[in-house]
Amino acid sequence: MNTDKRAAARAVVAYTVLILGALLTIAPLVLSAMTAIKTPKQFAGESALATPDPATVDNFRTVLDQGLGRAVAVTALMTVCITCGQLVISIMAAYAFARTRFPGRDVLFWVYLGTMMVPSAVTLVPMYLMFAKLGWLNTFWALVLPFLFGSPYAIFLLRQYFLAIPGEIIDAARVDGATTLDILISVVVPMSRPILATLTVITVVSQWNSFMWPLVAASGAKWQVLTVATANLQTQYNAQWTLIMAATTLAIAPLVLLFVVFQRQVLRSIAVTGLK
Amino acid sequence: MDRTARRTTAEHRQAAVGYTLLLPSLIGVGCFLLLPIAVVLWLSLHSWNLLGPIRFTGWDNWRSVLTDRQFGHSILVTLALTALVVPAQTALGFVVAALLARRGPGGTVLRVVYALPWMCAPVAVGVVWQWIFAPTGGALNAVLGRRVEWLSSPALALPAVATVIIWMNVGYVALFFVAGIRAIPAEILDAGALDGAVGWRRVRWLILPLLRPTMFFVLVTGVLSVFQTFDAVYALTKGGPGHSTDVVAMRMYSEAFDAAHPGRAAVMAVVVFAVMFVITVAQHRYFRNRTSYEY
Repeated sequence: MNTDKRAAARAVVAYTVLILGALLTIAPLVLSAMTAIKTPKQFAGESALATPDPATVDNFRTVLDQGLGRAVAVTALMTVCITCGQLVISIMAAYAFARTRFPGRDVLFWVYLGTMMVPSAVTLVPMYLMFAKLGWLNTFWALVLPFLFGSPYAIFLLRQYFLAIPGEIIDAARVDGATTLDILISVVVPMSRPILATLTVITVVSQWNSFMWPLVAASGAKWQVLTVATANLQTQYNAQWTLIMAATTLAIAPLVLLFVVFQRQVLRSIAVTGLK
Repeated sequence: MDRTARRTTAEHRQAAVGYTLLLPSLIGVGCFLLLPIAVVLWLSLHSWNLLGPIRFTGWDNWRSVLTDRQFGHSILVTLALTALVVPAQTALGFVVAALLARRGPGGTVLRVVYALPWMCAPVAVGVVWQWIFAPTGGALNAVLGRRVEWLSSPALALPAVATVIIWMNVGYVALFFVAGIRAIPAEILDAGALDGAVGWRRVRWLILPLLRPTMFFVLVTGVLSVFQTFDAVYALTKGGPGHSTDVVAMRMYSEAFDAAHPGRAAVMAVVVFAVMFVITVAQHRYFRNRTSYEY
């Protein structure tokens, strides 16, 4: 009886702490969304914590008209292109490393692994110089090209998975006359759906949010992505916080929605990313 | 035709397939990773202002960066940020995880809420927090009913930046601890309970020691990520006021693109890589020695 009571008390404490923490976690996002639907007049006149009255979508309309709509489209297109390219090319490379033999395979694999240790800031300046030399700065190619051809991390992750596919299944398909391409498309990919979903989530999140490279490679208005546009808001709107919060809400909301829909997949992908 | 000849043909064919599958990624890794790495090393030995002629200057960039007080200051700022962020996010993440790990109603919703900041672009989050910290019209001063210059005073700016990074990472760290705690076999905890390990004692003498690999992992990756921090700092302070939040990634960026000294920035990039390499190797060795516990 006594232990039951103690357990109940402990649960109450645990939930109180957890819920308070959760409120603190979510408060900044809720506050910014709330500010995004306030009229500038209400924002100037009342406390930042006041609830919107009346609620308005004018702020969203304004920022979308002033170039942010284009940034949303560019970011979405970039994310889709990179994610598709990375998945296809990483699958091919991972299969080559896992299931074929060729001279130099293991050395190349170690080279790929080694590049995973290099922080992206290291390659920033040389990449900028390369793209400047080719005259490709401020183009869509500058955003997409460096990440289109697969990533060592994705290749490593998929290779581990492909190694676990039983060889008999692949041999059986080969005996039936399937080519390597057939095997990849109709045997390996369907069997790897969970890891591919996880990889998709990781790639979409990191590309949608990527900032450092787009900032140096495509800072012009034409191919500006959402993160770069967001970083420029302060100078553009000079403390017109209702507009700035509308813009940040637009930058954050799509991924939050994605997260809520695919939360199982996303939470797993966090655990997987951590296993680098 | 003998068997060896046939085998060689099959091997050749397999090798051809392997190379073909690998080729696209090889182009990517070659052009956008290996070549830039080579260029960064080459660049570190040359002087250039992004426009004029490129001159070979040997170790000059190295000497000037390694004795540059500004760069030394950036390293100290980065270390200070690490000292503020990593212990706090690890401790808070552990507390949240210890509470989240017990299965109960609402667990999924809570985990989603805590992981939410991880999904958000650090830049957008930085801009939101810039408003929260704004002296006038900002949420924090509205709550406190005072007028504090959070981001524009040199003493408060770094703790403010640290707060934002901790806020972004706590839920993410907690998820690793939840996974670690759930991986502990129930028999161990039950046996511990019989010996009187309940409540805090259970955490201190059973869970914490068993979580050492997770703990180490979270600490090391935390240090690695703070060493690369750029987005949030750029959005919040751009390194200011008065270089008080000028972390190494920010310094490298301004050296390359504001001061137009790509050669010096290249040296900084190599230094950052060296630090991260040492941390990664230490992590690897630690893990090799004590990954498995004998349950």
